[in-house]
Amino acid sequence: MTVLTTHNLVRIYQNGGVPVPAVRGVDFTVEAGEFVAIMGPSGSGKSTLVHMLGGLDVRTSGEIWLDGKRVDTLSESAWAVLRRRKIGFVFQFYNLVTNMSVADNVELPALLAGMSPRESRERREYLLAELGLTERAYAAPAELSGGEQQRVALARALANGPRLLLADEPTGNLDSRNTRDVLRLLGEVHGQGQTIVVVTHDAKVASKADRVVTLSDGMIVDDASMRRRRRPPGSAGDVVELRG
Amino acid sequence: MIAEWRWIRADLRARRTQVALTVLAVAGIVAALVTAATLLEEGTNPWRGLFTRGHGAHVWIHTKDTPDTAALRSLGADLAGPYGSAPATLTGNGRKVPVALQEAPATPPEIATPLLTEGRWLDRSDPDGVVVERSFAQALGLRPGSPFTVTGLSGATHALFVKGVAESGDQGFYPEWTPGLAWTLRETLTRVEPAPGRREHVTGLRLADPGDTTLVVQRAVTVLAGQVQRVSTWREARASMELDNRLLGLLLALFGGAGLVGAALALANATGGRVLGQLRDLATLKSLGFTGPQISRMLLAEHGLLGLLGIAGGLTAGHLITIAALRVPPSPAQLGAIALGTILTVLVAVWLPAWRGGRTTPIPATPALPPHGRLSRLARLALLVRLPPALVLGTRDAFTRRVPAALTSVGLAIPMMMITIGLGCWATLDDFTKNPERVGQAAALVVRPGEMTAGEAERRAAADPDVAAVYPGVELDALVPWQTRTVRTRALGTSATPYPFHVVEGRMFRERYEAVAGQGLLDLLSVRVGDRVRLTVGGTPLIVHIVGRVLEPEQDGEVLSLGLDTLAAKDAVPPHFYSLVLRDGADPGEVRARLLARDLEVALAVNPADRLAVIRVIIVALVVVLALIGLANLLTASALGLRDHVRDLAVLQAMGLTPRQVMATLVTGTGLLAVLGVLAGAAAGALLSTALIDLEGHGSGMGAGIGRAPAPAALAAAVLIAVGAALLVALIPARRAARARVPVTAG
Ligand SMILES: Nc1ncnc2c1ncn2[C@@H]1O[C@H](COP(=O)(O)OP(=O)(O)OP(=O)(O)O)[C@@H](O)[C@H]1O
Ligand SMILES: [Mg+2]
Repeated sequence: MTVLTTHNLVRIYQNGGVPVPAVRGVDFTVEAGEFVAIMGPSGSGKSTLVHMLGGLDVRTSGEIWLDGKRVDTLSESAWAVLRRRKIGFVFQFYNLVTNMSVADNVELPALLAGMSPRESRERREYLLAELGLTERAYAAPAELSGGEQQRVALARALANGPRLLLADEPTGNLDSRNTRDVLRLLGEVHGQGQTIVVVTHDAKVASKADRVVTLSDGMIVDDASMRRRRRPPGSAGDVVELRG
Repeated sequence: MIAEWRWIRADLRARRTQVALTVLAVAGIVAALVTAATLLEEGTNPWRGLFTRGHGAHVWIHTKDTPDTAALRSLGADLAGPYGSAPATLTGNGRKVPVALQEAPATPPEIATPLLTEGRWLDRSDPDGVVVERSFAQALGLRPGSPFTVTGLSGATHALFVKGVAESGDQGFYPEWTPGLAWTLRETLTRVEPAPGRREHVTGLRLADPGDTTLVVQRAVTVLAGQVQRVSTWREARASMELDNRLLGLLLALFGGAGLVGAALALANATGGRVLGQLRDLATLKSLGFTGPQISRMLLAEHGLLGLLGIAGGLTAGHLITIAALRVPPSPAQLGAIALGTILTVLVAVWLPAWRGGRTTPIPATPALPPHGRLSRLARLALLVRLPPALVLGTRDAFTRRVPAALTSVGLAIPMMMITIGLGCWATLDDFTKNPERVGQAAALVVRPGEMTAGEAERRAAADPDVAAVYPGVELDALVPWQTRTVRTRALGTSATPYPFHVVEGRMFRERYEAVAGQGLLDLLSVRVGDRVRLTVGGTPLIVHIVGRVLEPEQDGEVLSLGLDTLAAKDAVPPHFYSLVLRDGADPGEVRARLLARDLEVALAVNPADRLAVIRVIIVALVVVLALIGLANLLTASALGLRDHVRDLAVLQAMGLTPRQVMATLVTGTGLLAVLGVLAGAAAGALLSTALIDLEGHGSGMGAGIGRAPAPAALAAAVLIAVGAALLVALIPARRAARARVPVTAG
């Protein structure tokens, strides 16, 4: 089953009247349960692409289809509502709302997606336990190390049980130990059937992926399947288990 | 909804001190507004305060005999009295003044309580003591201990004395309301007027709903069938106490406006600063799926709630303060108006930053655009002339981030402007008191002939060494064609020797049939200087040529002034009064005392500044509140600046700047903007204040030309203090930042 498809996706920035093409016609499909890594040199348009996939940035032309529905034509607010239900985001920096505790940060997307406070709390407890962060639940984000913050960000991104997890260099500023922790997590949720698209410069991250897509100058120059899929796509039982 | 509340709760918790400060600032402004409004109302309309404090009676019924109290009670009213009352004449110093003696119990009554201001209340052990109503006592110069010799209708004289002075809201002030009132014990009253037939009875009715007054009066008259001689109601008492001075109302409006702007600024700055500081968090929220309108709503709810909390607190505090200080609650209409005005202000002030917050782009990691070095050429120049690097960096810094820079400067400029306008009002009031002739009050004293002939009075007044000139005067009401109302016409001096009116436009009258007028009159008749108007004075038609505009503090400026010789002789002779211009430096009080001793009836002119004295209190309070708002704005700004700079600080330190230089850089950055704001505000205020006060003068009928710029010394002091305080406030966070170890990595 296809989760995400783009057709001839283009994004051109205007930089003081000069058009800067960041993404130049990307055709791209992600199947359910797939773990896709996007790589490429700096400035090749990776961030722009995932931002468009999550509706954080508007496309100049082209189409985006999510779960069989066309979404590139949605308004900003409609995109926001869609994100609540279907998309989880992890960035390199500033993932957490600074003035909320870790627990509140993780519960927020669940509440927003319409879960009751009790359900959200249970989900948060489950996710934080999975990530070994139960004791830090009432800490402020500023009191956490970079690695811990990224793990909380991941828990936050998974709180609403998203159809698609988008990550932009989630390990970009982590040391190798923290990178390993985050990767292990990504591997685990992927193992449970989570669809993941991750932008990375790190070969170790890419090695975990099913597919590596390489961008250069805003175009896909390589799309390589790394290995046979470990599981048939979208094994329903796992997804249900993850969504608690 | 739950998600939004979670965030609001967390945000409020994360900044408790700031939240408390914001609420306090708004509450302070609202409380100041309530107090100012009540104070001004007390000044212009003392009736409500007196009536409330003394539990006044709404209706007073005068009857020949003791009325049927049960019947009156059945109308649903609480009663005061019935009290016996008798007319008498107060004699002494060669004058005879009618007075109404009214019985009062030895313990002050529950309803219609006279409010003792001086001396003591009546006492059975002292049956010769009376308590005199305050305005009456003031007019006659009576104090506790003064003799109070009265002659009854029988002709017998009784040597009583003044035991106390009390205020009352149950009748108007003397001399607008005559006769004057004095309270005595029942036995004293019977002694002065033994014949029951010459006494009457007064009964006060206190109603649950003042709106029923007319109905109750009608029914009382019916119930008491033919016994009622006279009825007076609270409406008449109130009307006679009201100062019909529009200047006060306009000043109140000005200060109300200033207070509202202050509240708006305090909130807009707190909200704006907060939103600017939290754009990154808002972006994160958006990436989670918060919509723009949702975020705006959330911010509006959070900050609006703080504002409303402040308003509620301020209204409560204002209520308590006025009750404690003035013993009157603020009037519900004023409270309502203030509440409505501040709520609207709060919503407007909070709306803009909330809207801005909702428009944040949802990409949290977007790096802020690097500041453009707009001043780089200037900075290079500065380096060429070897300015210290901290100064150069600070200056460059101040102007690179436009929005925060504008917030800082404007946040200081507006309070400073308001303070300057307040100083201008102060200077204007000072000018009123120091140069009363410049506001149309050349004469400090007015003598009325009273019992003696006009010529005799003039001779006695002119004989005083401190009296420089005596101008005979007449005041009449003139009928204006096409106008249903009359206007006051004042003939004072003659065309050859006119009274020294303060002419601000045109010239003084020089010939017969020329006149000068106040702004109020010009507006009323819609005429201009140079026009001719037709009037009927005392039945005689008259066409006068208005040759000038004068500053006219009386009757809302609706006064026409001309020479006595313009009037027909039957109207002009004998003069009703004499205006006395005193020698420079003479004390009007002393001269008045001397003239009083010569049995003249002398009144001191009431300087408008005395009536506006309450405004000085308000100016001081307002300056304090505005200064606090300015400081709060500055604190927000410098905290915000610091947040923006945390990373640059590391770079600066790495570049080799010492902590002291880093501190200097930061202080220069904020300080420069602060100085700019303060100077701009002071300049704007100085320019505006004269114009604004003249506008008020014009609107009040007194006329433009009263406004004075703030005293240069006061203005300079205010600017220096403001700049000093601003630099100090900028220094505190800068010091802390320069000392702290700055983490180099972002996170
Ligand atoms: N807001 C913007 N306005 C103008 N140009 C932009 C904007 N954002 C990105 N660009 C340009 O678009 C191009 C692609 O940028 P993008 O951030 O997608 O690259 P990237 O592949 O994510 O790079 P990196 O690996 O460094 O993160 C770059 O040339 C960049 O300069
Ligand atoms: Mg990128």
